[in-house]
Amino acid sequence: MIDAFMIIAYVMVVGIAIGAVAALLQKDLLRAAFLSGAESIALAFLFQALLAPDLGLTQAIVATVLMPGIIIIGIFKTRRHEEE
Amino acid sequence: MIEINLQLLCFMAAALLVVIGLGGMLFLDNIIKKIIAFTLLSDGVNLALVTLGYVEGGIVSILEPGTSAGAFPENAVLIFGPGIVLTNIVIGVSTTAVLVAVTMVLYRRYGTLKASKVLKGERK
Amino acid sequence: MNESISNLWSIPLFIIIPILTAIALNIMYNRKKAISVTAVASSFALVVISALSPFGFHWFTGHPAVLPTGGYTYRADLLGWRLSLEYYYGPLQQIAIFLASLLLLFVVMISIKSLKKNIGPYISLLFLTFMSSAIVIMVNDFYHMWIGVEIGSLIVAGVVLASGEAVSQKAALKYTFFSALSGAGLAIALALILGVTGYSNISDAIKAMPLSNGSLASILYVAFGFTVLSWVYAGGLAPIHPLKADVYGASFPHATVLLQAQSKLMLVAIGLLLLRVFGTLPFAKEVMLSISVLTMMLGVVMAMLQTDFRWTLAYLIVSHSGLVTLGISLGTVQGIIGGLFQAINDVVYMSVLLLACEGVYYFGRGTSIKSVSGIAKRAPWLAIAAILGAFAASGVPPFNGFQSEIILIQASLNYGMPELAIVVLMVSVTTFIALFKGIYNIFLRPDDALNNNEKTGTPVPKILYACLAALIFITVLFGVYPQLAINFLTEAALKVVYIPWVP
Repeated sequence: MIDAFMIIAYVMVVGIAIGAVAALLQKDLLRAAFLSGAESIALAFLFQALLAPDLGLTQAIVATVLMPGIIIIGIFKTRRHEEE
Repeated sequence: MIEINLQLLCFMAAALLVVIGLGGMLFLDNIIKKIIAFTLLSDGVNLALVTLGYVEGGIVSILEPGTSAGAFPENAVLIFGPGIVLTNIVIGVSTTAVLVAVTMVLYRRYGTLKASKVLKGERK
Repeated sequence: MNESISNLWSIPLFIIIPILTAIALNIMYNRKKAISVTAVASSFALVVISALSPFGFHWFTGHPAVLPTGGYTYRADLLGWRLSLEYYYGPLQQIAIFLASLLLLFVVMISIKSLKKNIGPYISLLFLTFMSSAIVIMVNDFYHMWIGVEIGSLIVAGVVLASGEAVSQKAALKYTFFSALSGAGLAIALALILGVTGYSNISDAIKAMPLSNGSLASILYVAFGFTVLSWVYAGGLAPIHPLKADVYGASFPHATVLLQAQSKLMLVAIGLLLLRVFGTLPFAKEVMLSISVLTMMLGVVMAMLQTDFRWTLAYLIVSHSGLVTLGISLGTVQGIIGGLFQAINDVVYMSVLLLACEGVYYFGRGTSIKSVSGIAKRAPWLAIAAILGAFAASGVPPFNGFQSEIILIQASLNYGMPELAIVVLMVSVTTFIALFKGIYNIFLRPDDALNNNEKTGTPVPKILYACLAALIFITVLFGVYPQLAINFLTEAALKVVYIPWVP
């Protein structure tokens, strides 16, 4: 017995897993930062589903703006591609 | 066969995130990648904490005007998880900022992001 | 029900004054005169407040405690459910915060003299270090404990970075990465305890602890493990002691004075928490004891191997943390008194040694025993201070190290483990050897490489000598009249052993 709500939750969990693994496998650090942000947004949906809407909002803001922003500043001050 | 409900699913996602994050922090060589792995780890911990407080079929733990005071404590999800997680998100951001700052300083000195090269240094 | 809220006035000041001062100093960035006036005035105010303040509680949100018989009360000594985030300022907190603020005053004065640029942000970090240690020693709830440890470890990274060497930047990177792990662990431990007991206040959690229930006790083991992880991290104990030793060695010696005071206070606070909350679990004390023995052994062995006086001191601080841990994890009244007394003495005599090491810096040739020698001829008082500090650290009467180590030895004999007494003796003997290897080479060995006419470096500031004199006075005072300090510690030890739910 799987309803639409659980299907969305499954999709989000799969999105989290793919986002996390893909972020760590990227050679381009900028793309890795954005992918980790996408993973965090899927997490925000899960927070909403777990009846913590305040956390969902906070996580959405932090994940889209702050975390990638800080990491991107770091990337622009250092280098964009992983060296061999 | 255990029926997979939302709580179990989220615990599995949290465990996955923690494992991926720990593995990334330990085995990846790039410092920025290590920092991203750390954010994954803290996301996993946050998810685990929120999931701990979840009540199946509960209500959001905000006392709205319509809710009856008697039914609220029985149905509301536990508040401690979100309380800690709100702080943990903020701490995660500030830790990330400190880590990125240190990484920038180290990059200026060594010209590389490889942890194996940067941290190899010998002490006098 | 005519009771009024009796929140103590001084407890918020210990948190607010450092934060406001830090903000103000950050704004004043590099204006030396304004910075020195503000910083010295507010750290002096902290010393005065901690000395004059009465004992009492501060309850956030002013919830009254719920009595078991029904009804409410604001009196903290009655048995009731506190239900609130709570700070307690008692005798232990008074002596710890007094010493920490005194060290803050000294360190602020010295760093104003010795730094050339970025004085404002640096001194504001020192103030925040003091704030985090004050939080951790005063709290009686898990939530603020966690916040204090997290803030403290981030600030430590900042203080270490300030010295600007490659070693310190690497140490800061490693320390911050590990702070992520231990912070996450402490958060999970906190959530588990909250889930098992339902209370964030430590007193309430202890009263509600379901030790008879088997399945919940296994959750407590997980919580214990994560709390021990953060204890080991915050105090710099055995399995990960190189992290903390790197931090001590890589920062400025005067900053290390505050850093080691902070980590000693965290060690004491989290150790007492472990005893109060998990003391009844089987194996809890054994785990803590084995960590302490490992720390002492590894610390002194590593200290003997170092050639730089800074790193010798760093590893000695780690190994003496093991002495504090030993006393606390014995779990008897005598042992806890010994551990707390050792923590206080340790902070004082290590500060003497670190400030003497700071004095060596002014001669401009580093602190390695290979590069610098013959300081005693040019700065005899510095040499005398270092030698007195070394005597205190290695437990020679009439200094304070002797008094606390004798209590620790008696406590471990009474506990029925004479092996521990032998380890304590071994630590003090090897401390002596490691210190005198450094002190002989730096201060006493005749200077052959350099002719004495060439004066390198800058003169040592007078304020450093004044601080050294004050600290040596405290070591002798506690060595001759140990009861002065022990009177402050007895209450805390008795409470932890007999009535652990009272803060």
